[in-house]
Amino acid sequence: MSTQVLEKQFHVEILSPRQKAENLEADLERFATRYTQAIAGGDVVCIPDNPLGKLAFQGTELIRELGLPAAPGQVSVHINTFHTKQNLDEVLGEAVDLGIDNVLVISGDGSERLPKLRAQDLGMDAAGVTSVELVQYVHREYAGAFSVGVAFNPYEPQEHEWEKLQRKVDAGADFITTQPIIGRHECIGRLQALGLPVVVEAWMSKKLHLLSDCVGYKISEDTPYDPWENLIALRNAYPECSVYLALLGFKTQLPQLAQLKEDMG
Amino acid sequence: MQTRTAEERDAFHNVWVIAEHRWGETKAVTFELLSAARDLADKRGSEVWCILLGDGVRSSAAACIASGADVAVVVDAPALSEFVDQTYADLVSRFIATYRPEIVLCGATAYGRALAPRIAVQVDAGLTADCTSLEIDPESGDLLQTRPAFGGNIMATIRAATHRPQMATVRPRVLDLPTPDPGRSGRIVEEQIEPDDVTENVRIIRTIRDNTGTVPLADARFIIAGGRGVQGKEGFELLKSFAETVGGAVAASRAAVDAGWIDYAHQIGQTGQTVQPRVYVACGVSGQIQHLVGMQSANLIIAINRDRHAPIMQFADYAIVGDLFEILPAMMDEIRQL
Amino acid sequence: MRIVVCVKQVPAINEVSIDPETKRLKREGVESVMNPFDLYALEVALRMREQVGGSVIALSMGPKQAMRTVREAIAVGADSGVLLSDRAVAGSDTWATSYAIASTVRHLGNVDLVICGKQAVDGDTAQVGPGIAAHLRWPQVTYVSHVSAVSNTALTLARMHEEGSTVLEVTLPAVLTVVKGINQPRVPTLVSVLASRGADVPVLSAADIGADPERLGLNGSPTRVVKTGPPPPRAADTVILDGPARDAARRIVHELRMQSLV
Repeated sequence: MSTQVLEKQFHVEILSPRQKAENLEADLERFATRYTQAIAGGDVVCIPDNPLGKLAFQGTELIRELGLPAAPGQVSVHINTFHTKQNLDEVLGEAVDLGIDNVLVISGDGSERLPKLRAQDLGMDAAGVTSVELVQYVHREYAGAFSVGVAFNPYEPQEHEWEKLQRKVDAGADFITTQPIIGRHECIGRLQALGLPVVVEAWMSKKLHLLSDCVGYKISEDTPYDPWENLIALRNAYPECSVYLALLGFKTQLPQLAQLKEDMG
Repeated sequence: MQTRTAEERDAFHNVWVIAEHRWGETKAVTFELLSAARDLADKRGSEVWCILLGDGVRSSAAACIASGADVAVVVDAPALSEFVDQTYADLVSRFIATYRPEIVLCGATAYGRALAPRIAVQVDAGLTADCTSLEIDPESGDLLQTRPAFGGNIMATIRAATHRPQMATVRPRVLDLPTPDPGRSGRIVEEQIEPDDVTENVRIIRTIRDNTGTVPLADARFIIAGGRGVQGKEGFELLKSFAETVGGAVAASRAAVDAGWIDYAHQIGQTGQTVQPRVYVACGVSGQIQHLVGMQSANLIIAINRDRHAPIMQFADYAIVGDLFEILPAMMDEIRQL
Repeated sequence: MRIVVCVKQVPAINEVSIDPETKRLKREGVESVMNPFDLYALEVALRMREQVGGSVIALSMGPKQAMRTVREAIAVGADSGVLLSDRAVAGSDTWATSYAIASTVRHLGNVDLVICGKQAVDGDTAQVGPGIAAHLRWPQVTYVSHVSAVSNTALTLARMHEEGSTVLEVTLPAVLTVVKGINQPRVPTLVSVLASRGADVPVLSAADIGADPERLGLNGSPTRVVKTGPPPPRAADTVILDGPARDAARRIVHELRMQSLV
């Protein structure tokens, strides 16, 4: 199990095309371009798993079908609990074959369209399958294959969130990724005290109000926000943490990122 | 396709109820429909007929008459002991052709929703499903049928002006049960089943009774949902027991599912199911918009929460400020005393 | 076995809302999806094909954009698809819809089994499946919750009802409607989605299927919608009960009793 992913400074989230995309071929091409650019820049590519419950393509099948390069330390895929058992093993097995050694395990967003893992599918006795059971499963069936990450949300009621995090850590989490952090957040120190690497998420869109759902309170549309300032602030506040870049603007911001890395030396 | 002229339509009289009878029991929905049929027939100046198909079903005729039927058409035969769609549909279609009812009502039960549309096609009738109200249009005398659509987001009123009979199904417990009047008189018409009526395409093997009393969430008329306030798996045992008391189903908010207290199959909301029950009791649910979108069509919303400022407390019809672990047992006591 | 699966394109119901001003459904921005029940029907068909061989044809009736739903069914695994699209069928109620679909099934020929989802989430009537069976004069089994045995001449199934379920055997050809949760519908792969985009899906007209125009569209529909409107408004004020638990319980149970809910 390599820790190369966690040693890299920047994790770039690249969304896979939705299955219903009007112009699928163009979307696939754009995905491939962004993917190769990020890898070439020495960053980690992170691919979510059917975000918001909308059917998209799995990172592993895209890499395979599009013939994209993948080596240990370059890619992290998300995996959530909305899969059939068969599909779950297909995705994880494929990840192993492709040399992907980092997964972020989350409960995920369900929908009418997606199947759902049941506890008996994983041979477990639990009320349902959440990220905790999935972490246990990955450690049990794919021991040593992946560095397994879990999520922490500082905007949810904290008592529950810390208790849930503890169960994820007990299940075998290897690192922790946060929701978007603006500037600083007191939770980071406490997370680091658990002794696991912490990946801090940076919101790279100017539209801060899109986070209203995430943070649970209304952020007005005209709230001024400079994602670059925020990114630099995060790097200064938490130099030992990798940064997960969400909603990165590939045309404008990826070149800026290259410059930033040069400046940082 | 039999479009009926006004003259032809005038030849159709009476309001029929197709009884739902199974394993020695005539289901309550039959009597609820008889009560509505009585009102409709009185407005039309006609009779209420109850169509009883089954094995040993003759003994229910008196109860149907007491609940408003003027005539009970009875086909009592061992061949009818189990519901078989084709056999029942062919029989009723034959009677409709013979007796020409103006209106035919059926329960919107699993079997009713299989039977009514098959009959409607066979007799060229218009059928409206899951009606929440039935009225006679004072001008035309036609049946006006109102029902929800698009997940309960709209109410539609439907009319079948040029076809007869006018058919409608109504779900159980939408209409009130009548008070039976054993003094009512009526007559029984015995009909026979013919060998040709019995289909050979379907063979019943056995029936499995589900005694757990669990109702699928999508069909439940009473839903009790738990959120973070339920505090754990054990808390959901209380909700399950409440659900059994009222014959309802247990649901959950995303927070409860993500906490591992209950399976995702029970989740209501944007990333779970959308439901339209008659009553939704939200216990320890804060009421974020992602949850509300899944249950806002419920007829009656009751919230139980210790926090009077939780968003759900403004949204609900009744907001009970208190501890669900005290309120629910108290409610169950009250209900058991009824 | 030659299986036809009926699929319908519907709005994503959890995104639908009513415009408070016009009192009409807000359709813009609402995504179109395959009726969720139909995904289960499709999965039933695919598993039967895996067992006894044969072919699965996805059939839809709708406007041109319903083609996406037919292609989605092919991406999931149907061998081919057919779209019945004709102005003549616009405005059909369930009687006329089931007639049009039954006519298409006859036109396709040699069909052994038609599988539908229990109901479509826009209309929620559950009438089209049994209607197709009636038009074809085939046996029907609705609310199928389990398939125990499959052969080329008969099926052993369980159907759900209020008391539980009934196991029965039905001879083919037949029409089934299936409930959600009967299986776990499979998810398409990138390869299958790309292939479905190139699939040749014929678009049939009413004339192609030899349907009687008198039985299609508005003309063929015994029922008409004469009025639509929003559901009855919620009472504006919330009744707050914050006294002792016993009192609140008594009050609320009384209300439930008044509304015949307990």
